[in-house]
Amino acid sequence: MNKLLEKVKAGLKKAKFDNVDLYEWRSSIVLTGRVNSWDEKIQAGYIAANKGYKGVVNDIKVVGAKTDEMAKPDIYDNSLEGEQFDVVIIGGGITGCSIARELSRYNITIALIEKEEDLAKHASGRNDGMIHPGIADKPSSKKAHYNIRGNRAYGKICEELGVDFQRPGSFILFNSPISELLLPILMVRAEQNGVDGYKFFTRRKVKEMIPYVTEKQFGGFFLPSAGVLSPYKLTVAMAENAVQNGVKILLNTVLLGFEMEKGHIAKIKTNRGNITAGVVVNAAGIWADTVADYATDRFFSLHGRKGVDAILDKKTGKYQPAIMAMPDLLSFKGSHTKGGGLITTPEGNLLIGPTANEVPTREDYSTEPNDIDELMKHLELNTKLKRTDIITYFAGIRACTYEEDFIIEPSSYVDNLVHAAGIQSPGLASAPAIAHDISKMVCTILKKTKEVKNKENFNPKRITFPELNKLSLEDRAKIIKENPFYGRIVCRCEQISEGEIKNTLHSPIPVLSLDGLKRRFRIGAGRCQGGFCTPRVMEIMSEELNIKLTDIKKKGAGSEILFNETKENVSYSDKKLKTMLE
Amino acid sequence: MLITQKWDVIVIGGGPAGLAAAISAHDQGAKTCIIEREERLGGILKQCIHDGFGLVTFKEKLTGPEYAWRYIEQANERNVPVFLNSFVMDLKKEGNIFKLSLINSKEGAFYLSAPAIVLAMGCRERTAKQVFIHGTRPAGVFTAGLAQYFINIQGHMPTKKCVILGSGDIGLIMARRLTLEGATVHGVYEILPEPSGLTRNVVQCLQDYCIPLHLNTTVAKVHGKNRVEGVTINSVKNFKPIPGTEKYIDCDALIVSVGLIPENEIIEPLNVPIDPKTRGPFVDQNLMTMFDGIFSCGNALHVNDLVDYVSESGNIAGSNAANFAKENLQKRNLIPVTPKDNILYVVPQYVDLNQKSEVVIFFRSSRTLRDVKLKVYSDGNNYISKKYKVVRPPEMERIILNLSKVPSNISEINIELKGE
Repeated sequence: MNKLLEKVKAGLKKAKFDNVDLYEWRSSIVLTGRVNSWDEKIQAGYIAANKGYKGVVNDIKVVGAKTDEMAKPDIYDNSLEGEQFDVVIIGGGITGCSIARELSRYNITIALIEKEEDLAKHASGRNDGMIHPGIADKPSSKKAHYNIRGNRAYGKICEELGVDFQRPGSFILFNSPISELLLPILMVRAEQNGVDGYKFFTRRKVKEMIPYVTEKQFGGFFLPSAGVLSPYKLTVAMAENAVQNGVKILLNTVLLGFEMEKGHIAKIKTNRGNITAGVVVNAAGIWADTVADYATDRFFSLHGRKGVDAILDKKTGKYQPAIMAMPDLLSFKGSHTKGGGLITTPEGNLLIGPTANEVPTREDYSTEPNDIDELMKHLELNTKLKRTDIITYFAGIRACTYEEDFIIEPSSYVDNLVHAAGIQSPGLASAPAIAHDISKMVCTILKKTKEVKNKENFNPKRITFPELNKLSLEDRAKIIKENPFYGRIVCRCEQISEGEIKNTLHSPIPVLSLDGLKRRFRIGAGRCQGGFCTPRVMEIMSEELNIKLTDIKKKGAGSEILFNETKENVSYSDKKLKTMLE
Repeated sequence: MLITQKWDVIVIGGGPAGLAAAISAHDQGAKTCIIEREERLGGILKQCIHDGFGLVTFKEKLTGPEYAWRYIEQANERNVPVFLNSFVMDLKKEGNIFKLSLINSKEGAFYLSAPAIVLAMGCRERTAKQVFIHGTRPAGVFTAGLAQYFINIQGHMPTKKCVILGSGDIGLIMARRLTLEGATVHGVYEILPEPSGLTRNVVQCLQDYCIPLHLNTTVAKVHGKNRVEGVTINSVKNFKPIPGTEKYIDCDALIVSVGLIPENEIIEPLNVPIDPKTRGPFVDQNLMTMFDGIFSCGNALHVNDLVDYVSESGNIAGSNAANFAKENLQKRNLIPVTPKDNILYVVPQYVDLNQKSEVVIFFRSSRTLRDVKLKVYSDGNNYISKKYKVVRPPEMERIILNLSKVPSNISEINIELKGE
């Protein structure tokens, strides 16, 4: 037995994992056996991680664990049978969509398959939208490397795509006078990672910048490059621009497996038929290990870490001009999260969060009361904020490897597979840089069999339409004259007009659900949470898409809002009713 | 250059409060208009097709649309101009004049200005998340008002079998409405030890239809991925769930009636002081806010349980706004009306002692009390003493205070409820 394996074995023994077995597979380590709780399984995985192996495959069974299966679309047809592409990207999150856009610069055929009815439905639509400054991760990590480069790219990209982007900057607040002693460590880390600009603010200076900051702060480290954007808007924008440049986005299309031929993906099996690709990109989020497994290349396991964020009313935005967090720096080592905080958004709402809890499920986004309790500590960072400012909350699940780092590389064993896996925070911030490198890898493989050239007519600018709430009154007058539907406000909280809804419904990627509209235009995302506008939005959808009100869904299949017309199924001789009325 | 139209009084909102305000402002000789964001006047009454409206004012049992029509007719007779489908984007003060920027499809973008504004925007419903219901986020979680709109306006059923959380009036009325439309209502669940709607609604909407009301019980969790598949209910004590009392109920919708919040976001830029208890602006007896020239009425001022009181407050706000626009009221001598023992809130929260007229005061008790005495007083002076057999927080009480009895040099008027 070799030394590495011995080391892991000793570690497991020390932690009393007597029922865990292990073996080497290719350059990874595989854990099997049985433990009693999910936390134990995760703990065993971490013990095996970063001991010199490329990856940890954690196949330990957990007695009674409530795991979930991948939700798949209920559609089976052969509409895609036989289609051939140079590149097929698996997954319509921010990573997949950024890669699609990046690859659309070249004269190649590209398809992106997404199992859901819309993009950004999982981690990419379920995070706080922060473009991290890149200080949190170790200098040697891929996370730090891609984070810094991705962060720098966002100004230009968001301008091209017409997505709101701000750099409010972020404070790491000190919670005790002795925290200041850590300043040199923070400075060195920022320097090593190449963080763009950083500065120490004294307690007084912090208060000058954020007048309502807690009295319990002792100065802070300010990182001006920290940015914010709407992560689902960005994902959709990336995809729309990719479609403009020739990419096919195939929704409701799930990967069922690969037909392998001597280390080569010969066929991609989907619910819409079998297709082929010169190169397959694995950007499947939390299911990236499953996709790797289909190609017999599962050298890593992913585990879900749930994060809950709460959204505060828009009126809170003015009290908090910058992002801030107060991590317990003194006990920070060994933690797998940045700890959460108060995040500003381009729309003016504040977010608090996220939490970080290991979960056995991968698509269960339910929340628990203690999630909100856990977030309350962030609320206290600003004296103006109250629990009643919370208008809603949501959960997301991070796709974590045990190494806690990204996997961005061509497969070592499959000649036409590239992995963009284990992408969790700061995955959003890193996406442009990841997309850049992945597309280089894809092109390198493609170039073996064909000539890859830049497309002459690539247009980086997304075609957008006017957004009413960003215009001056004079400009609104002009637009309403051209399109009177812009004069009719439907979503009163976010001031969104009928004109914008109609335009959105006819955008390059079809929008078929209320949540889909919300992801693009914040309709129903305000303080009334759709209480007023939902019926009108449904009527507009019904008219524009020529569907019945009863066919309109909140999200995917089976999420219809209405059942039938009143009186349709009512019989007034109904016995129950008769008894009541007597 | 965008057009600016000048008015004496601008009423924001064309529901029962706004209609009454516009009519009374007009009758006081003010050039008045109404701004309404929907395509028809009437506000929430349009969807309230049950009866019971107007008992106080008209001594009749009217439906919501019938009640609204009585006021729409009066506004029509007076030719009060109405901007329908029009939305206020911004409200500013320039000198002594308020300037509103509006948009609609017909006129595009334009300004309206006036020395007096009446706020009559009504209220919105608190959502399930805002009372911290956890679990998943499927289709089928609706506020009661939204469910009411689906059924009464759009003619569609949002549920076949549901659970209703909250025994507020809309929740009770929807329990009956859904039953009449053939849906099964498993029960109405209320976290408090007593119903939060009017007693008459508990009797007429639940008891008459054998719909169970479960007190001290709440919905802890929603289940279902795409559509609601069930909810977990929980008994509670002091708002905390009692472990072991969880029960799963199979249903396709959760309908919540968990409170209303006055809509006052429009005045936020002006920093008009808001009463944290009512979530409407602080006002004096003329229903003028602490910001000269801005008046408030109806559910934007505080959530009412009877529409008759909503109209009454509109009436007061409208005529006073007209007077203000004409002669710019003299400086106010405001003293607070302070809620003391067992009083949840009082409206108006201030009275102007420079006026000696009769003042309408509304209050709610902070809990249910029997055989109590109401006292309105200030150091040594007692203005009102009134006995109540029972007072309940859901039932708003109305009293009249004659300010001619109140000396001009006092600093505060107190109001309390005490056992005998």
